Amino acid sequence: MSQTDTTETTANRTDDQGISTTAGETVETTRPEWTNYEAGGETKLAVDDLDVHYGDDHALKSVSMDIPEESVTALIGPSGCGKSTFLRCLNRMNDRIRAARVDGSVELDDEDIYQDGVDLVELRKRVGMVFQSPNPFPKSIRENVSYGPRKHGDIETGLLARLTGRAEPEREEDLVERSLERAALWEEVSDRLDDNALGLSGGQQQRLCIARCLAVDPEVILMDEPASALDPIATSKIEDLIEDLAQDYTVVVVTHSMQQAARVSDQTAVFLTGGELVEYDDTDKIFENPESQRVEDYISGKFG
Amino acid sequence: MSFITPKTDWRDSIDRRLTRTQEFIDDTDPAALAVVAVAMGSLLAAFVGFLLASPWTAVPLGAFLVATGYGWVRHQALVARAVTFAMTTVTLVTLGLIVVFIFAESIPAFQYESARVFGVSVPGLGMFAQARWDAVSDPVRYSLLPMIHGTVMVTAIATLVAAPLGVSAALFIAEIAPPRVRELVKPGIEVLAGIPSIVYGFIGFTVINPWAGGAFALNGGSTYLFVGIVVGLMALPTVVSVAEDALTSVPDVMKDGSLALGATDWQSMTAITLPAAFSGVSAAVLLGVGRAIGETMAATVMLAGVPRISEPLINVFYGYETLTSLIARGYGSANGVHESALFAAGVVLFVTVLCLSLASQYIEARMRRRLGGAE
Amino acid sequence: MSRSTQTALVRDDRTAYEAVAGLTVGLSGVAFTLALAALFDVVGIGDPVAGVSLSVVFGGLLLALGGAVVGFGVASRLGYVDTAPQPSAGVVAAGAFTAIWFAIGAVASGALGLGTVARLGAGTAVGGAAFAATAFPREDIGSTVPAGLVAGLAGALLVSGAVGPSWTQPLSGYNATLFGDVVVPATVLFASLVVGWSAAKAYGGFGARGRNVGAYVLIYLVVGSILTVLVGLVAFVAAKGAPGLFNGVSVGGSTLVSWPFLTNGAGLLADIAGVFPALVGTVWLVIGAVLFAVPTGVGAAVFLSEYAEQGRFTSVVEVATNGLWSTPSIVFGLFGAAFLIPRFGNQKSLIAGMLTLGFMLLPLVLITSREAILAVPDEYRDASAALGVSKWQTIRSVVLPAAIPGVTTGVILGVGRIAGETAPILLTMGGGVLPAKSAAPDVLGGFRLSASPPFVSNPALLEATSALPYQLYALITAGLSGNIQNPQEYAWGLALTLLLVVLVFYAGGIATRYYFRQKLHQ
Repeated sequence: MSQTDTTETTANRTDDQGISTTAGETVETTRPEWTNYEAGGETKLAVDDLDVHYGDDHALKSVSMDIPEESVTALIGPSGCGKSTFLRCLNRMNDRIRAARVDGSVELDDEDIYQDGVDLVELRKRVGMVFQSPNPFPKSIRENVSYGPRKHGDIETGLLARLTGRAEPEREEDLVERSLERAALWEEVSDRLDDNALGLSGGQQQRLCIARCLAVDPEVILMDEPASALDPIATSKIEDLIEDLAQDYTVVVVTHSMQQAARVSDQTAVFLTGGELVEYDDTDKIFENPESQRVEDYISGKFG
Repeated sequence: MSFITPKTDWRDSIDRRLTRTQEFIDDTDPAALAVVAVAMGSLLAAFVGFLLASPWTAVPLGAFLVATGYGWVRHQALVARAVTFAMTTVTLVTLGLIVVFIFAESIPAFQYESARVFGVSVPGLGMFAQARWDAVSDPVRYSLLPMIHGTVMVTAIATLVAAPLGVSAALFIAEIAPPRVRELVKPGIEVLAGIPSIVYGFIGFTVINPWAGGAFALNGGSTYLFVGIVVGLMALPTVVSVAEDALTSVPDVMKDGSLALGATDWQSMTAITLPAAFSGVSAAVLLGVGRAIGETMAATVMLAGVPRISEPLINVFYGYETLTSLIARGYGSANGVHESALFAAGVVLFVTVLCLSLASQYIEARMRRRLGGAE
Repeated sequence: MSRSTQTALVRDDRTAYEAVAGLTVGLSGVAFTLALAALFDVVGIGDPVAGVSLSVVFGGLLLALGGAVVGFGVASRLGYVDTAPQPSAGVVAAGAFTAIWFAIGAVASGALGLGTVARLGAGTAVGGAAFAATAFPREDIGSTVPAGLVAGLAGALLVSGAVGPSWTQPLSGYNATLFGDVVVPATVLFASLVVGWSAAKAYGGFGARGRNVGAYVLIYLVVGSILTVLVGLVAFVAAKGAPGLFNGVSVGGSTLVSWPFLTNGAGLLADIAGVFPALVGTVWLVIGAVLFAVPTGVGAAVFLSEYAEQGRFTSVVEVATNGLWSTPSIVFGLFGAAFLIPRFGNQKSLIAGMLTLGFMLLPLVLITSREAILAVPDEYRDASAALGVSKWQTIRSVVLPAAIPGVTTGVILGVGRIAGETAPILLTMGGGVLPAKSAAPDVLGGFRLSASPPFVSNPALLEATSALPYQLYALITAGLSGNIQNPQEYAWGLALTLLLVVLVFYAGGIATRYYFRQKLHQ
């Protein structure tokens, strides 16, 4: 069974999450070896001692983990324990929140993304994100997919390009088709690429967002509970897609559903109360034989 | 399945209302009903009396106050409902009265300036068919064309100032400014709206006009150019506040999605936020234009006050008269048809601004529906 | 997944380049500000600066800035600096430079004496060349060279003296003349704006990043200018009006503070002319308007939000109220003159002014009250109903108190707006140019009851009274002259008093909104 590192409490305590312990109760502390899992293959993202404060709220506590490339890493845990915060640190979307303070480092291919002078545009070209609620732009499907490359200047469309003879409509069509195919959406929308994206169903919209993300040709794809707003059939399509994408991309998925994590991911990280990474290991190990008692309690449904 | 024809439907709805009213009367305490009836009746009587300029108006007004006061103590809920309903109708009645009186007073002038088209006499056509306004010497004519030209010139320049600057400032407040700066800039622009137009006019009259006359070697100093700039400054806060509301109502997740794809803040603003808020921003510009058209005192004080059409037509270096300044300047000494012609100018103003207001309300309603569907 | 070209996250060091580009942007700003000062005659373009006239200095500065900007473009194109330009300068830059050079071509050919058709042709040719220079080359050339040439051309004209302090150009047909005093600063303003925008884009390394910087620089400039104008206006009125307003103020003595400008009238008996009657008039106008508009507006808002079914009726009222809100103030004045004056003694009167301003205040109060009431969460109403409380009681004890902050803010802001209005009272109230203290209306003391119709009367309400905005207007139309010691100083003091009264209301309204918002969020 799991070896827990126990400390005997000497007094009644209530920690900042409101969990109270009485004197004499045993409280588990996380052992470092539970989180220093190294999967085979290259490390794509190396997170070291990441701390996030939202004002006075300590949202993420000294998280360190190595995310291997071309695989699926799942982040699970109860609500409010910092999974999404952690995810948003990987493409620096937390910069959008003024009260957020980030300490520590995140290395993408050995380059710290939090060092001075980092170009956020470059970073987000390489680390893409899919959000919890599908958020297609109020534009046509084609324009949604080609949005990223157009903004980066990689594809020229538009009035000026046509006037100067530099327009490349075939390149755009090709890119749109490839991205939609990879996102398993092409067959359903190939005949209506000029329709407004908001007219698609929820599941289709989410796959459109994934296609949009793929069109930028990222290396890492971050997904924040991508299927939580969708029905079961759409969800299973997304899960199949995630497994397929892992062949070429590094995928990091935050999910509320443990079954989803068990089905889809290669390795799983468990975040518990108050932004603490408790255990990070091969998915099978986590779900069959976790080291931490708290993780076992969480997985067997005793809380969360 | 419904075999009910529209006619029957309408009759049904009347029936329903009658039965509801009947139930209401049956359910309510007769004393309360009586009090409310007295109060509303006397209010109506007071209003009629006032309309007729009757010296007896104070009596029903007093009765209304007494009945309401008594009813407030004894049957407050019903009286409150009735009184608030009465106050609602005041708004509608006010708008109706404005329309009625302005139009009524302008009729003599429209009749005076009738013109013949294919043998049919069209009242008011003469105001737009020829360009002479002279209320004093023969032939006495009341053309609104010079004033319309003046209003168009001033409004055009004002819009060129207020629209781009206003939308930029709105973008700044909604998207670019850090919170501390926003707390400073937003009230700052609102205060700009607070400066009374006569103060703007005073500064224009004492400082800008003399300077302009010297700087461009003009005959006198009043120019459509500088009046337009001043009016634009006054319309700016209107554009900023409405446009800013529209921009902040675009959901944040859309902009997040754009940023996550590696677009810059400016690209996200121009490609996502601004197009999504386009209706609201257009409505803001329309309201700004309406504000510029209706601006009175700055124009009155700064303009020369001689109704003429500029030569050449786009000569911004001379300023004569707008619809608003015509009314403000002329009202004190005008009688008869002349006074009526001023009301005619008022009609043109009122109708134009009302159309702009309706157009911007329609656009805003459409935008709310579209964004509502997008969420 | 291996990628053939992998761009580093951190670009190469280009601090030297950025320093120079930043300096260029800064210098453009300096040129812009100086030109503004020259336009308003704070400095003269003929003033000597180290031996040469300011106009020539401007020219040299523009030449330098233009050259710098072209240099940035060339340095980037030749690869000396690590930038990220896009293949084309974009439709905004292309459109802007085409238009600018078209205008330059048309104006220049006009100066050479060509006819209108030839000028349009020249403009089109030059504009077309600018379009080609902007749209076809890579962004770093396309967005710098046309801009640099604008500054270069302007700079050359100024340095060579072709356009300078003694330059004039009569505009035939317009009865106006363009002088160097205006044209030189205007040219510098425009050129420094164009070159500053281009330098900002260069600073950001071109591409999407550069355009972001360029756009932000322009927008910060716009907002800064608006705020400067605001502060400048208020400061200007304060400076000019202070002598009049504070004329004869003394502290201490029998009345503690003596403030003649506010307590005296402008009649012959006053040693220091003051605005007391107008001040009193404004106070009563506001009181009257509020007494009419606030109960009516709040009551109507309550009915529309709580009692009426949301349907056609409420929509019609909403549309009507919005229409009323946009109606020009002079139209309200016309209505007051046509409707109210005949019913209050057929003359201009205080009560006609009060009611006219009340009509103007009504839509403001209604709209803000309605917003405030609708903002009260339904949970409050549901909770109250669940306790068995009647609808009216709920409105009275739950909804209205919760809506009071919004209503108060709206009323204060509305009062600020109508206190400064002249047009409505111009037509309905009138009043004298320089009223004596005795002309101030004594409303409270004027009520009389009688046994015969009209039963209630108040001569003070039926008088033509002055108010602050009206008196200022009357003074202006009288040519700023009258039977007092220093009409100019008096007028400025009056303007300052009016401005202060209105600003106090606006500041108060904004402060209450802020205060209530803070309380709500705690």
